[in-house]
Amino acid sequence: MNKDLEHKFISEFQQHQNIIHKVCRIYTNNQEAHRDLFQEIAIQLWKAYPKFRGDSKLSTWMYRIGLNTAITLYRKSKRTIKTQDFDSVLHKIQSTDYDATEEEQLKLMYKAIYQLSDIDKALIFLYLEDKNYKEIAVTIGISEVNARVKMNRIKTRLRTILNP
Amino acid sequence: MDELELLKKDWKKQNASYPQLTYNEIYTLIHKKSSSIVKWIFIICIAEFVFWTLINLLIPDSFLVIYEKFHLKTILNISYIIQYIVIITFIYLFYKNYNSISVIDNTSLLMKKIIKTRKTVNYYVYLNIILNVILSFIINFVMFTNEDILNEVFNSSRATIDSDKFFNIMLIAQIIGLFVLVGFLLLYYRVIYGILLRKLTKNYKELEELE
Repeated sequence: MNKDLEHKFISEFQQHQNIIHKVCRIYTNNQEAHRDLFQEIAIQLWKAYPKFRGDSKLSTWMYRIGLNTAITLYRKSKRTIKTQDFDSVLHKIQSTDYDATEEEQLKLMYKAIYQLSDIDKALIFLYLEDKNYKEIAVTIGISEVNARVKMNRIKTRLRTILNP
Repeated sequence: MDELELLKKDWKKQNASYPQLTYNEIYTLIHKKSSSIVKWIFIICIAEFVFWTLINLLIPDSFLVIYEKFHLKTILNISYIIQYIVIITFIYLFYKNYNSISVIDNTSLLMKKIIKTRKTVNYYVYLNIILNVILSFIINFVMFTNEDILNEVFNSSRATIDSDKFFNIMLIAQIIGLFVLVGFLLLYYRVIYGILLRKLTKNYKELEELE
């Protein structure tokens, strides 16, 4: 493939790589798996890039491919060994307003999300990314009404997981 | 839900904590091999096409000699033509469906297309099994209605055999063969589907139930 295109892709990817990190954050619970999924999404994005025409925003396009890869295309590779849990590695945010109870709550929240189905994870992800129901519906391929219904169900489910 | 709002706040802060890959790291990453299920489905489907085509077209010469004695050549030639038409049609359909798979589609549509592609090959296999069973029925019928030739071909030493017994043995052997084949196929599909498509089918069903 063309070198210029490759250069353009890598530069753009570099700028927007947090989108992919965030997809991996929702779908995996350890660094090894995170890296593995990140790699597969990067490959899929690069394969699809020549067809990217810029009629949608690059970030929107990346959300779609990222989620599609995580939900549909990705197969856990055998070398995914359970290493350290993410809670103990990536989650230590060095914020000034550190709050132990809040920290604990967040930990439980991420754990609860990890227990959700792949589709539910996608909805939560898009919700956290401040996408409206219309965008969520279009990305997943369901109606807007159903996206709302589903989101309410997920909230209830999270509540049940957190307060059994 | 308070926790969700808390999470949303935290989610935005997390942006700063992700490891940032360099240009060269990304370069290496995108040149690695994909392990996506679409790639695996493609490989497995091609292998199945090759397998079934070879099985149908590579009949040993000794069989052909036997068939010729029973004047089955025309039937065999017709079945060849049918098989070629079937192969070409299915390869075309498979290629068309496979080509339509696009990672930019919405999730539901993407899953639908992958399942459709996979199903094309399943239909090819089913049709092959059906055609083979029909063909073996015809061959059996012709063979057993021509007892003289049957004796000449399978019993050239002219040993005295009870023809009923012989018929029963042939029939039982073929039924066992059919069961073994079907069992093997079921096991194969369980394993392949189990490994490749369980996650996809589960997710697809979840979306379908919602709609």
